[in-house]
Amino acid sequence: MTSETSKKAHLPELEELAPFCSIVLPGSGQFLQKKTWRGITIFAFSLILGFLVLWGFANYEIGAVQIGNMIYSWLVIPLIFYYLWNIYDAFVLSTSKKSPILIAFLAGAIILYVVGWYVTDIKLDRLVTRFDAAKTVMYKIANPDFFSTQEGDKVVVCGWKCMWNAVDAKLHGETGPTIFVSENVGRIFGGKGKITATIWDVWFGNAKTPGERIQGFQTGKIVETIAIGLMATIFSTILAIPISFLAAHNIMRRVPGGSVIYYITRGILNIVRAVDTVVWGLIIIVWVGLGSFAGVIALTIHSIAALAKLFSEEIEHVDPGPIEAIEATGGDFFQVIRFGVIPQIIPPFLSYTLLRWDINMRSATVIGFVAGGGIGFFVLETIRQGGYQQYAAALWAIAVVIIIVDFISSRWRNQILKDQPPTEAKVSVWKKIRKVVYFLIGAAAFIYCWTITEINLKDLFNPGSTFGQLLLDFISIDLSSGVVKGVTEQLVITVMQAFMATTIGGILAIPFSFLAAKNLTGKSRFSSWIFYISRASFNILRSIEALLYVAIFVFWVGIGPFAGMLALAITTFALLGKLFSEAIESIDPGPIEAVNAAGANKLQMISYAIVPQIVPPFLSYLIYQWDINIRMATIIGFAGGGGIGLMFSTYYNSLQYHKAGTVVVGIVLIVALMDFTSAKIRENFV
Amino acid sequence: MLKIENLCKTYPNGTQALQNVSFEVAEGEFLAIIGLSGSGKSTLLRCINRLIEPTSGKIIWNGVDVTAASGKEIRNIRRQIGMIFQQFNLVKRSSVNTNVLTGRLGYSPTLPSLFHVFSKEDHENVKKNLEMVGLLDKIDVRADSLSGGQQQRVGIARALMQNPKMILADEPVASLDPVLAHSILKYLEQLNKEFGITVLCSLHFLDLVHRYATRAIALKDGRLVFEGLPKEIDDVQFKQIYGKDAERVEIV
Repeated sequence: MTSETSKKAHLPELEELAPFCSIVLPGSGQFLQKKTWRGITIFAFSLILGFLVLWGFANYEIGAVQIGNMIYSWLVIPLIFYYLWNIYDAFVLSTSKKSPILIAFLAGAIILYVVGWYVTDIKLDRLVTRFDAAKTVMYKIANPDFFSTQEGDKVVVCGWKCMWNAVDAKLHGETGPTIFVSENVGRIFGGKGKITATIWDVWFGNAKTPGERIQGFQTGKIVETIAIGLMATIFSTILAIPISFLAAHNIMRRVPGGSVIYYITRGILNIVRAVDTVVWGLIIIVWVGLGSFAGVIALTIHSIAALAKLFSEEIEHVDPGPIEAIEATGGDFFQVIRFGVIPQIIPPFLSYTLLRWDINMRSATVIGFVAGGGIGFFVLETIRQGGYQQYAAALWAIAVVIIIVDFISSRWRNQILKDQPPTEAKVSVWKKIRKVVYFLIGAAAFIYCWTITEINLKDLFNPGSTFGQLLLDFISIDLSSGVVKGVTEQLVITVMQAFMATTIGGILAIPFSFLAAKNLTGKSRFSSWIFYISRASFNILRSIEALLYVAIFVFWVGIGPFAGMLALAITTFALLGKLFSEAIESIDPGPIEAVNAAGANKLQMISYAIVPQIVPPFLSYLIYQWDINIRMATIIGFAGGGGIGLMFSTYYNSLQYHKAGTVVVGIVLIVALMDFTSAKIRENFV
Repeated sequence: MLKIENLCKTYPNGTQALQNVSFEVAEGEFLAIIGLSGSGKSTLLRCINRLIEPTSGKIIWNGVDVTAASGKEIRNIRRQIGMIFQQFNLVKRSSVNTNVLTGRLGYSPTLPSLFHVFSKEDHENVKKNLEMVGLLDKIDVRADSLSGGQQQRVGIARALMQNPKMILADEPVASLDPVLAHSILKYLEQLNKEFGITVLCSLHFLDLVHRYATRAIALKDGRLVFEGLPKEIDDVQFKQIYGKDAERVEIV
């Protein structure tokens, strides 16, 4: 009691004054009362909300209302509420009571959604008025160009109805339409066609010189895509390993001057990671020219940065015990790494490589949009020609490949992370032979992929003549006010696209995730059908990158940020739906039992036993998705989805590299800022 | 008060957890259920309030056939029967207050309860029951910041919110150390003696059965192998219940 009173006597001024500081500077009162993060958050949000209201009014007249002679945005009202809440909060804090954050939350949400709604150009009426367009495109997606039939002297796509007619006719012994495999299938999966001869063709005697045009087996675009993903994964893993040691603090601490190298490496990795693979692709094509090779390099660069970061974190988290023990025996730096570090990091490294393979396969499907190789290039071409049924066939092919890759990758990962079985003393001959066969198959596959992705190391060391100029132009960014204003505008749109897509997709995912959680759907036949259908739709929707969806929504609602936002929302819905349902499946069943035993009904059970358990994982997945969406939103413009990507490709295609450089700097800054924010949110609130 | 007739439970994987179990429980009893792990004690307790659907047999609770009750009826029966769990089954991230209030869900109209609106009487009862288990000062803390013994006392307060006529306790002390075990069982004994609540409690340790139970039944491989007073469990009975390699252990 005495200590409390003496404490109060000591600090009367600060405790009483702190709330008043919030009147002058939002958040400062909370900051002074030792609620550091609360204060910083309130301050940062007041800046963001204030900027959005002012900027939105100045550029778009968002929320403009006229009162007498004054025209101003009504969004000032929630802003004032936010400000008043901040003062109220500071005063409540000083009485050490709990302060309700609902008002701040509502005020912030109103401003974010109104501005977001406006800048992402959301026009819900178009979803309805242009429903016919949607029906057309949906019909085409549902009837992909896999089979064709002859109609008069024209070859047309044979959809489900046509195939049904053929089968029906056959069953009744009549002559129906003749069906044959479409040319489109050959382009996607491979078939006979003109190809450029490789050294292997010369070796087998099919051609005289490499580069000659000969008749042969044309590689399918989807096969090319698989090869791009595979090569990029192999190259990036090999290159990321040495780099990861440079970015591991516990290793570099042991080397003189290591800390400097550590910070430089980490910084470069973060910058490289912030720029999306697709943007890297644009820079690379100037270097080595259009083609699969450019795609491989772009993916490799981005993967090196991502893998090296994960690898280095893994190195930093190794058990220091063995290192200490080896140092104690007098081992030197390299011996410590060889015997103390490497054995510990092999399983996690392999697991990350597999995960990255999965990600690279997804990136490989879109890299062709800019770099000109793989299925992405095919998709771009078919959309330009309005061949939506050919595009649909590509989407289905991608979905199948990605689902298989996903399955293999997660299965191998689980195997790796399980405890290794003790090594057998005697390895059977068959196992040895099997190993050799596996190795030979692997080597053959590697050589095949190397050939079809047209990897050419000579090109790599002989960049295009304009590349030097491009780099110089990129580095000397254009900071004139017009460009900066434009970039700012597009960045706001991009962030808002990601924000709207994440929240809308996330909210939609919640009810559906309950249907896809095995522990809730029950065991009856009907409910297990619901479970399988919802899980399958999540997996199929999830396997296609947002960039590939844009074309559908452009057809439906027109070119612009709305189409891009919808494409992002679809992928968000699918990924979060899957993650949410897995989170629901992993909850503790005990409380459900207890609440049921007390006689609660189903709704009460969900709200008391399930909801409190799933709020934290849901929030953290939402933030994870937000990180993904911010990156995706920066490239969604390449396909007509609006935002900063559109601006970049416009500047880039008109050879205005100074301005394109400014855009890249903007992207790097915003992605880094968002990464930092989400990391902090995760630390402090989830 | 409670009559079990030929109760059987076969799980989908073929395990016969209960085989023709029949016994009766009179009002005001403290019935201990003993047996090895996997002998069917948990299944038996969960069949009584139908958290697990019995395969066949009858359960008559105060003249009502529990096995035939519909969804609404079973919830009405459940709310008169409190349950206490080995793993406490609290919602870890919710406050003690919310956890205790969940005991009232069976009595509360759905819509207000979804918005966390409960009657004034309920809120007063939370305080009363928490005071009884000595945790009134913890009313606003999160359940996961409590120790195991404290969490189980919250579990008791939650069951008391139901004004139960009977309490089913599924190994309530198996996750607690011996000293805490006695403190929890003393609360159950108090409820049994002072408020006349019938208690069905599965227990591992025989000396706890001797100390607290008024009657005991024993299960082995899903069959009832003993029914009688705790002191009647002699060495022969003991070997029959626990197998011939078992030895008695004493706790505290």
